Amino acid sequence: MYSFNYVKPGSLKEVNDFLASNPEARPLAGGMTLIPTLKARLAQPSHLVDISALEELKGIEVRNGALVIGAGTTHAEVARSTHVRDAIPALAELAFHIGDPAVRNCGTIGGSVANNDPAADYPAGVLALGATVVTNRREIAADDFFQGMFTTALEPGELVVRISFPKPRRAAYEKFAHPASGYAMTGVFVAQTNGGIRVAVTGAGPGVFRWSEAEAALAKAFNVAAVASLTMPAADLNEDIHGSREYRANLVRVLTKRAVARLAGR
Amino acid sequence: MGDHLFEVDGVHVSRLEDLRLITGAGTYAADWNLPGQLHAHFVRSDRAHAKIVSIDTTAALKYPGVAGIYTGEDAVRAGYVRGVTFLNFKGKNDMEGRIPERPAMAHGRVRFVGEPVALVVADSALAAQDASELIRIDYRDLPVVIDPEAAVRPGTAQLHESVPENTPFEYEAGDKAATEAAFAKAAHVTKLKMESTRVVPNPLEPRACLIAHDPKNESYTVHVCIQGMNMMKRQLSAYTKVPEDKLNVIARDVGGGFGQRSTAYPEYCAVMIAAKATGRPVKWVSSRTEGFLSDTHGRGNIIEGELALDKDGRFLAMRLNWLADMGAYLSPAGPVSHIRNPTTCLTGVYKIPALYGYWRLAVTNTAPIAAYRGAGRPDIAYAIERLVSNAAAELGIDAAELRSRNFIQPEDFPYKTPTGTTYDNADLPGVLAKALELADWKGYTQRLSATEKTGKLRGIGISTVIENTGAGMYPKDEVELEVGKDGVVTLYTVAKSQGQGHETTFAMMAAKVLEIPAERIKVVQNFNDRALIGNHTGGSRSMVGAGTVCHIAAEKLVQHGKSLAAEALGIEPSQVSYGAGEFRGPESGMKITLAELAQKREVKIKGEGTFGTTYPNGCHIAEVEIDPETGVTDIARYMTVDDCGVVVNHAIVEGQMHGAVAQGAGQVFGEHAIYDKESGQLMTATFSDYFMPRAGMLPDIVMAEHATASRINPLGIKGMGESGCTASLGALVNAVIDAVRPLGIHHLDMPLTPAKLWTEISAKRGTARA
Amino acid sequence: MAKVEIVVNGRKEAREVEDRTLLVNFIRDTLGLTGTHVGCDTSQCGCCTVHMNGRAVKSCTVLAVQANGADVMTIEGLARDGELHPVQRAFTECHGLQCGFCTPGMIMATVGFLKDNPNPTEDEICKGLEGNLCRCTGYINIVKAVKRGAELLQK
Repeated sequence: MYSFNYVKPGSLKEVNDFLASNPEARPLAGGMTLIPTLKARLAQPSHLVDISALEELKGIEVRNGALVIGAGTTHAEVARSTHVRDAIPALAELAFHIGDPAVRNCGTIGGSVANNDPAADYPAGVLALGATVVTNRREIAADDFFQGMFTTALEPGELVVRISFPKPRRAAYEKFAHPASGYAMTGVFVAQTNGGIRVAVTGAGPGVFRWSEAEAALAKAFNVAAVASLTMPAADLNEDIHGSREYRANLVRVLTKRAVARLAGR
Repeated sequence: MGDHLFEVDGVHVSRLEDLRLITGAGTYAADWNLPGQLHAHFVRSDRAHAKIVSIDTTAALKYPGVAGIYTGEDAVRAGYVRGVTFLNFKGKNDMEGRIPERPAMAHGRVRFVGEPVALVVADSALAAQDASELIRIDYRDLPVVIDPEAAVRPGTAQLHESVPENTPFEYEAGDKAATEAAFAKAAHVTKLKMESTRVVPNPLEPRACLIAHDPKNESYTVHVCIQGMNMMKRQLSAYTKVPEDKLNVIARDVGGGFGQRSTAYPEYCAVMIAAKATGRPVKWVSSRTEGFLSDTHGRGNIIEGELALDKDGRFLAMRLNWLADMGAYLSPAGPVSHIRNPTTCLTGVYKIPALYGYWRLAVTNTAPIAAYRGAGRPDIAYAIERLVSNAAAELGIDAAELRSRNFIQPEDFPYKTPTGTTYDNADLPGVLAKALELADWKGYTQRLSATEKTGKLRGIGISTVIENTGAGMYPKDEVELEVGKDGVVTLYTVAKSQGQGHETTFAMMAAKVLEIPAERIKVVQNFNDRALIGNHTGGSRSMVGAGTVCHIAAEKLVQHGKSLAAEALGIEPSQVSYGAGEFRGPESGMKITLAELAQKREVKIKGEGTFGTTYPNGCHIAEVEIDPETGVTDIARYMTVDDCGVVVNHAIVEGQMHGAVAQGAGQVFGEHAIYDKESGQLMTATFSDYFMPRAGMLPDIVMAEHATASRINPLGIKGMGESGCTASLGALVNAVIDAVRPLGIHHLDMPLTPAKLWTEISAKRGTARA
Repeated sequence: MAKVEIVVNGRKEAREVEDRTLLVNFIRDTLGLTGTHVGCDTSQCGCCTVHMNGRAVKSCTVLAVQANGADVMTIEGLARDGELHPVQRAFTECHGLQCGFCTPGMIMATVGFLKDNPNPTEDEICKGLEGNLCRCTGYINIVKAVKRGAELLQK
């Protein structure tokens, strides 16, 4: 790690002010991505601004039929929360499959969503559920928020404060963990929302994306057969030593099928 | 549950070393500190093959806290340019090994990514790392050679001037003419080209050393991870010309070894240079990524094998063409382990009248390869067992039946193999029968059809293996016993546990003879105040060697004690009897305890023994289920029947088997050190990229023993520790291939990753979707 | 530099550290508690697992300054009054360790997830251990030790 200065402001406003006047400062929430990045000397921020204890980022509640999760909520808290389990059990399950117990005790939903790692789990849930990302400046629809690998609609100094998930009718998440890292080699979140069927895919491509063909097919007939006959184009997917793009395309289809099977039965 | 629970400080433990290890009181290499110590950071080559044009350390030297920077120039000046390579036998056509120089830090040229180029020492590890980034190195890139088959092709860029065609050694074993003749009359020949993939040993404790130089007598104190102090001293001494008796090697707990710790690494020699130059102790702790890049790797063999059979399925001959990737330099153990161990067990468990093997070593722009759990034994067993199962499938003979038909029979032991080895003892039909029963081999078809109903593929694989264990490089193993005034017996050995549990098993060996509780025996595996001849722990040798000498030494201690007791009691030694820590005379009340004797005078004895090679053997049977939709393999069942002779501690033997099978399964299903063929970068240099076995990979292994006593070892003990690796590669790969063979797949190289299996299966089924 | 006050194994430790100091280095180098190990640099191996405010964390991925004011327990603090923790007992009784390097992290991780799930199935144990690597045991006896530890804890 390169040297940096650590600060821990007491309020969101102080954080906003600090980030505004220190362009090279980086917010630090759970640190599960940022600290390994710093250890590998891949980033050199001037300051780390610890936002993990901010009250404004805490809490899980159901408000106006939506599940609202503070950005500073850890994966473990989401996985354990009865609010989440009652409202959107698939989201609790997603959180329970992130990383490992120690990572889940530190890592936060806000950090995961803001980082938008192409193999992270949360982006699939946020996108498939049509959630709204509330920042210190505005509200951003999930469809507008994720913009490809490690890229989001967030502007410099803009922080995720909470995420609001409209309750779906049903939802399921299926993940194929990377054999070494445990990240999603492919993860598929299928949600039957009031606005229609939404299928979001993480891990397989350069960023989370919706599989519109599957959504259309499932809108016509919500069953396994509807997905089984589809083909996921492989051309734009990721390829590495652990799997070809064709393999990932296959995983997208298989995991979608399995998620649908869980929701619809075979 | 361990079947030997000891009581230490009122706590039941299965091993005597456990109490400190479960309370955080162990001392591993990075846990040592010395007053005034400096911290070291290595600058490593970021390219695979290049000429070093210049190294500029000016800015780095000015960085606050920096005490010194050392480079290949310093290594050459010190004369630290060549480690030892145990290649002390002649090759094909009397060829001598071509052992290239390897300065402790690269000099003039780098030959693999991660090779140490410079060493920065500073007040803190972070300062050393900060400063290291200020060092400017200009390189001129050279052609990169990664693939060993390409490396030995004429015209390929050469790594070392002294190693033409990148071939440091060629070797042959067996009878080429007889083998060719046998192949000519064979009714069936099965052929496979198999790769035993390059893997990274990855003991969980990263390498580390803390070295202090004493100018008064030109000696060094070296805290370091070892498998045995003698081997470390010998190799360090060979590298640096510092006499062995000027090297005080200190290690307490060692966090896994698997062969990786048997090397005196150039980094240690470089740190010696810094410790001497700065006059302060210097500590270096490797990061995991440095470990991936610069620890010795394992395996890396490409084996073309052919097995000739007659019309009744009897083996006539086997022929191997073996290419062993050695990496950029020859490690101490790499060449010998990848040639000698396969040659020793070239016939496997079978009567094969004619054998021929040709070995060629290759140097490539990759990390050096050395011993890794089994060190050539898993590779030869894998090659043979794949060939045998492939032949069985081609001929439509049951894989167990074909093995059985060709076994060396119990009455044949001791059995002299065509390559001159003498196997001591085994009951292979007995091992097989027990394994087949344990595995319910006959009931497999029912399990297969149950699996098929789920849409998955199922396969069963068998592997029946034998391996050489016990012998070492030192002519004998010595153990010293010394009785303390409190009656506690200190047992000195140079075999060093890296997890094998010597403190328990060696204590048990002596305790049995001395008839005192094992916890009254303190096993010391590292010391510099006395010299003992003996081997390091590796090659599954320690219970066969040093462990057995614990028994011999204890017997000698009783005899010696009797004469001392006779003097003390004023009687003849022949009148003294011994039992449970007490020497007794003929009359009641005439007795003296070990403690009392030691209070009167020194009670110390050295035992020794040389036993040669023992041959543990066994049969592993694995069943796998493959999900064709994802290519994921589930190990559904795993059975082992092993003959490791007389067992000293069953819990420890089981634990060794678990760990070795897991390492085998890791290699089979995911572990693979992958270098980019163009750039020579290691693509798998972290645990995020390199697959490691995790909890749940293996089912609970069903185990049985089928011991025949070794005829070499006086206590009937055979080595164990590696045999789980040796047998598991073949059993697991055979199971997977059995599952996919109906699709027309007759061989796949490891690792059998989900992606690879899905790709192959869907290609054959025509279900791949692009 | 930053001033931190961290309660470690029940003892308040007030020190000054570089802001970039990792909690694991604070524990090992500043306090000399070397039972917490470092086995990797990518937060994968779990050898450095400690408890922070009662929850298992990887101390290689937490800054010492982040732990300011926290209650930290390391492997050295697990046994109380000379009495081993039931999970420690279970690890030795089941031969759940060989070289012992991963063991402190394994034990701390186990104690951590048994709080959430005191009676885990074998699959749940494996899931609970997914952040901890062991190279020696093949995990078979570790899984048994966790099961045994859970039993002992419920007694």
